Amino acid sequence: MMPELRAAVAAEWTKSWSVRSTWGTLAASAVLMMMVSAQLGIAHENNNTNEITTDDTGVTTAGAIAIESFAMMQLVLFTVAILTVTSEYANRSIGWTLQAVPVRGRVLAAKAAVLAPVMFVAGAAMCLLGALAARPLLGDWGTLDGLAYDAFAMGVYSAAGGVLTAGLALVLRSTATTLTALFVLLMLLPLMLGAAGSPAADFFPSTAGDHFMSGDTGEYPLAVALLIVLAWTAAAALAGLRLLKARDA
Amino acid sequence: MITLRNLTKRYGELTAVDGLDLEVRAGKVTGFLGPNGAGKSTTMRMVVGLDLPTSGQALIGGRRYADLRWPLREVGALLDAKAVHPGRSVRAHLLALARSNRIPVRRVDEVLETVGMGKAARRRAGGLSLGMSQRFGIAAALLGDPPVLLFDEPVNGLDPDGVRWVRQLMRSLAAEGRTVFLSSHLMSEMQLTADQLVVIGRGRLITDTPMRELIAGGSSVSAVCPDPAGMAALEARLPGARAVSRDELRVPGVTTRQVGDLAYELGVRLHALRENEVSLEQKYMELTEHAVEYGAAR
Repeated sequence: MMPELRAAVAAEWTKSWSVRSTWGTLAASAVLMMMVSAQLGIAHENNNTNEITTDDTGVTTAGAIAIESFAMMQLVLFTVAILTVTSEYANRSIGWTLQAVPVRGRVLAAKAAVLAPVMFVAGAAMCLLGALAARPLLGDWGTLDGLAYDAFAMGVYSAAGGVLTAGLALVLRSTATTLTALFVLLMLLPLMLGAAGSPAADFFPSTAGDHFMSGDTGEYPLAVALLIVLAWTAAAALAGLRLLKARDA
Repeated sequence: MITLRNLTKRYGELTAVDGLDLEVRAGKVTGFLGPNGAGKSTTMRMVVGLDLPTSGQALIGGRRYADLRWPLREVGALLDAKAVHPGRSVRAHLLALARSNRIPVRRVDEVLETVGMGKAARRRAGGLSLGMSQRFGIAAALLGDPPVLLFDEPVNGLDPDGVRWVRQLMRSLAAEGRTVFLSSHLMSEMQLTADQLVVIGRGRLITDTPMRELIAGGSSVSAVCPDPAGMAALEARLPGARAVSRDELRVPGVTTRQVGDLAYELGVRLHALRENEVSLEQKYMELTEHAVEYGAAR
């Protein structure tokens, strides 16, 4: 790595961990993940043991429960990535960021270089925490099979999603707008298109990510699922970079 | 040295900076004056690459800001004292800046001592008063020990002690051979601080003159003379002289020495002889009379 980029990464790292919002949002994500996973674990166990037989889904893995929870609360985790960009616009400290590192591409690269590993570890940890919370509640109806892959895949998806989010945040600059856009992109649109039976629903980052994490090859191979996620990530990052270069700070 | 070449910034119809040509030289304090909306902040922001010029160039030592390898070591700029993350500690903010430009970490504590904030290092930036924020911002500008410094309104919110401290700091930074480019609306303060004055209005350069010349132009000498006859005798020998009161004669374009010698030669009794300097404020008002963007009716 070029020394200039390494220095920029060090600065972004220092900035990330010197504000409470990073710690707070990560902690909130972890707590929420465990709560939702526990809830889903109870529901799954209940479905299999209650009088009704039509809702029985049989034995599942704790990892699958975690992946299902993650689909619902991923926005909370991605808020970490939103804030690394939008907080700087909100309090205008973006001025210092660009004075220190005037090469816009390097600013984005440094932010991505911090976000990707942090989000990878956070995503993998969330998977493990979710599984941990769900496993005892699943009773006889859950296993820990494939958890290593699930955690790895959730880490990869989170890392890509974090960079995607940062790119989107560079385009939109405001926390509320970015969060709304992300909600529409990751949840609302794929859900609506899916309900309407449109095949386009499978090409959104969240649905492709879900296929990738659950090892679901029904629509396309896992490599393609990952490529779809990465393509969205690259597109958002490039859009963010373009506007970062073109607009006044 | 900061060089502006035909620097222009337009926002749609509005031209904020209009073909500015300027050299801000090392070793002195250059004051940057102009009414609100004259384009001072926009100019400074373009120098450090925050705003993109519509046309023209802003160069530091002949190079664009974006081409500086470690920019904070070459240019320190305090443009907006409150533009920091309110939740981040003073020290962490400076630490991140130091790391971004490979500035030794000991500089963080050094500059905090320089601005008198050694004890405030752990405080969160959002809790600082405006005056403290200015000191904090000055510390950040000084962090990389840069040869070129820009300060946009650094004395806003400072107490009299702080204002004096900033003046002395600016003077000493210039004395060390640095380029100091400073904007302020406090005329009396600017008069004491700056060596060179750049005045802009509506984005255009109005004047770029040494402070001494600017203030000397239009200065006069007053002679207080108790005898009407003596006063008349003096008046007759001094072209342009006019009586401004019963016993005071005002003479443009001469020195006290000339008037004193003449009075001695003529045997005229004087009670006072003094130089009337125009204040920077007066001069500034004259210069910007036609360039005020947001003025009250007068």
